[in-house]
Amino acid sequence: MRLLLVEDNGRLAGLIREGLDRQGFAVDWCETAEGAEAARQVSGYDLVLLDLGLPDADGLDLIRGMRRAKDATPILVLTARGGLDDRVAGLDAGADDYLVKPFQIPELAARCRALLRRPGATLGTTLAVGNVLMHPAERTVSVCDRVIDATPREVDLLEHLLRRAGRVVPKPALESALYSMDAEVTANALEATVSRLRKRLTQAEADVQIRTVHGVGYALFGPPA
Amino acid sequence: MTNPRRLPVTGPTLFSQIAVRLGLFALVFALLDIGIVVATYARQPEALAQELLTLEATRIANSPDKTPGAFAGPPGARQWSAGYINAASASIRGAGGGPTTLRPAALVDWTQRERVGAGYRVTGVRSIREGEETRWLLMRFEGEGLRPYVPVILNELTQHVALPLIPLSLLLFAFNIVAVRRVLQPLKRAEDEIDALEAEHMSVRVSEPRAPREVGTLVRAVNRALDRLDESMAVLRGFTANAAHELRTPLSIMQLSLDRLPPGQVRQDLEADTAYMTRLVGQMLDLAQADAMSIDTGATVDLADIGRAVVAMLAPKAFEANRELRFEDRGDTRVRGHEEAIFRVVRNLIDNALIHAPGDTPIEVAAGPGSQISVRDRGPGVPPEDREHIFERFWRADRRASDGAGLGLGIVKRLVEAHGGNIAVEDAPGGGALFRIRFATAEPVHTD
Repeated sequence: MRLLLVEDNGRLAGLIREGLDRQGFAVDWCETAEGAEAARQVSGYDLVLLDLGLPDADGLDLIRGMRRAKDATPILVLTARGGLDDRVAGLDAGADDYLVKPFQIPELAARCRALLRRPGATLGTTLAVGNVLMHPAERTVSVCDRVIDATPREVDLLEHLLRRAGRVVPKPALESALYSMDAEVTANALEATVSRLRKRLTQAEADVQIRTVHGVGYALFGPPA
Repeated sequence: MTNPRRLPVTGPTLFSQIAVRLGLFALVFALLDIGIVVATYARQPEALAQELLTLEATRIANSPDKTPGAFAGPPGARQWSAGYINAASASIRGAGGGPTTLRPAALVDWTQRERVGAGYRVTGVRSIREGEETRWLLMRFEGEGLRPYVPVILNELTQHVALPLIPLSLLLFAFNIVAVRRVLQPLKRAEDEIDALEAEHMSVRVSEPRAPREVGTLVRAVNRALDRLDESMAVLRGFTANAAHELRTPLSIMQLSLDRLPPGQVRQDLEADTAYMTRLVGQMLDLAQADAMSIDTGATVDLADIGRAVVAMLAPKAFEANRELRFEDRGDTRVRGHEEAIFRVVRNLIDNALIHAPGDTPIEVAAGPGSQISVRDRGPGVPPEDREHIFERFWRADRRASDGAGLGLGIVKRLVEAHGGNIAVEDAPGGGALFRIRFATAEPVHTD
C-alpha cells in the first residue's frame, strides 16, 4: 500500500510516516505542492494524505487540479483548519475525507483503510475485518478460513458493511443497494436480512458484530484492538 | 440577542434650532433696519421736516371734523399754528372775460425750514382732499432738538421695518416647519434602517437617499464604517484560522511523539494532558469562530438529515463506551441555517450527554416535529439552580472535573443565537436532561 504524504512540517511528517509504517503502510513524503505533482507523475499512489496549508500553493487547488485531470486517487485531507466552512470546502473540492489535526495514528490508519476499502480502490480485491474475510469478485465469505453459507443478498449486505467497517451505513443507502427499484420492499425486509446475517456470523463464531443505530442505519465493528 | 435599551435622546431638535436662529436673525435685521432709518433721517433734517408736516396734515384730515385748531401739533412744539387758506381768494380774473382759475405758487404742497435761534421753524402747505373739493392747510411750527420728530420716526419704522419684517418672519417660520420635516424624512428612514442592522448579517448596508446630499454622505459614511467593521471581522476570522494552524500543528507533534515513549504512568498522564489540551484548544477556536461567524439565512437545511449524520458519526464512539445512540425523525424539519454549525451544535450536545449521563444509559436525538431538535439523556438531569449557568462560558457544575473547560454549551448557545433560535434545558419525562433547540422555520408551517 503506497501512500503519498504532502506536509510542510518536517517533524510532523516524520512522526506520521513512523506511525503509519507501524500500521503496515509505505509512505512517501514531500513538502510542497510542486513536489507532490512531481511525485505523482513518477509513480502511482493508492492514497494521498494532504495538508492544506502548503508553502507554495493552497491544498484545495491541488485537489481540484487532480480531479480535473481525471485522477481518482482517494485524497484524505489532514488539516489544522477546523472552521465551519472548511470541511465542506475540502469535500466540495474533491477530497474523500477530512481529518482535523491533532489526531492519533490509529484513527488516521482506520480512515486510510476505509478509503482503500472503497469499490475500485486498491483494497477491493479482498475485504477483511477481524476473522471475517470476503472476496468481492467471487462473492464468498469465510470465517476463520471456513467458507460459510449465505444468500446473495446477505453477501451484498456484508460487503457494504465491511467496506465501511467501523462506520454507520445509512438505511436508505443499504436498501437502494440491496433491492432493485421494481422489487417490493417491505418495511422490515432489510431488518430481516440483517438479522439472518447476524445469526450466521454468530454461528460461525465470527468476532465482528453488526450493531443497529436506531433511526439511522447499521454498523459493523471488528474486535477491539 | 437582546437589543440594548434605547434611551430617549435629549437636546434641541433641528426644527427648534432653526426657529431660534431665524428669530435671532430677524431681530438683528430689524435692529439694523432701525439704525439705518434713524441714521438716514438724522442726516436729512429737511426730509424729516417734510414728513412731519405731512404726518400732521394726515392726522387732521383723518379727524372727524377736520378742525386744525383741535390739534396741539408735534410733541414739544414751542409754537404751532394751523389753518385753511381760501383757494377762491387766490383766484384772479383773466382778460378774456370768462373766469379762469389759476393755481398760484402758494397753492402747491411745499415745505420750508429755517433756523430760529437754537431751534428751527418749519412752514408749509398741504392739500387735503374732501370729496371733489381740495382744501389747503397752512401750518407753522417752531421747535428744538429731535423730540418733535419722534412720531415721524416711529411712523417711518412701522412703515419700513415692522410691516415688511413681520410677515416675512411668519413666512420663514412656516417654511421652516415644512422644510425641516421634508429634509429629515430620509434621515428618519436611514435611522430605521440602521436600527434594523444586525451583527449576524454583516453584508446588509443602509440604502443611500438621492437627496439631500448631506444625508447621502452621512449614510455613505455609516456604510464605510460598516465596511471597516466587516473587514476587521474578516481579520479576526483570519486570525482564528491562523491561530488554529499555529496551535494545532505543535499539538499534533506532541500527541504523535507520545507514541515513542515507553508505556507507563508518565506516558499515560501525558496522554491525558494532551487530550485535555487538544479538546480545550479545539473548543476555544470553535468559540472564536462562532463569535466571528455570520449566518447566511438564504440556505435551508433539514434538521433530520443533520441529526442522522451526527448520530452516525458518534455512534461508533458511543458503542465503544458500550452505550446506545438513537435517532428519531418526527417530521417537518426544514429550517434556515448553516448545516455545519447545526451539526456542531448537535455534536456538542451529544458529547455533553456522553460525559454527564452515567455508564450504559442510552442517548436519544429527535428532530421535529417542526423546527426543533432535541438531545435527551437518562442521567441525573440539570438541577433548576444550575440551568441559567450551564450555557455560560467556563462554567462547570463540578470545578474539579477535568473532562472539559466548560465551553461546549457556550459554543452551542452562540451558534444557536446566530441562527436567531433558542436553546433550553428541561427535565425529560421519566428522568434525565432534555436539551431542546428551536429554530426559525424555513417556510411558514401550516398546522392543521
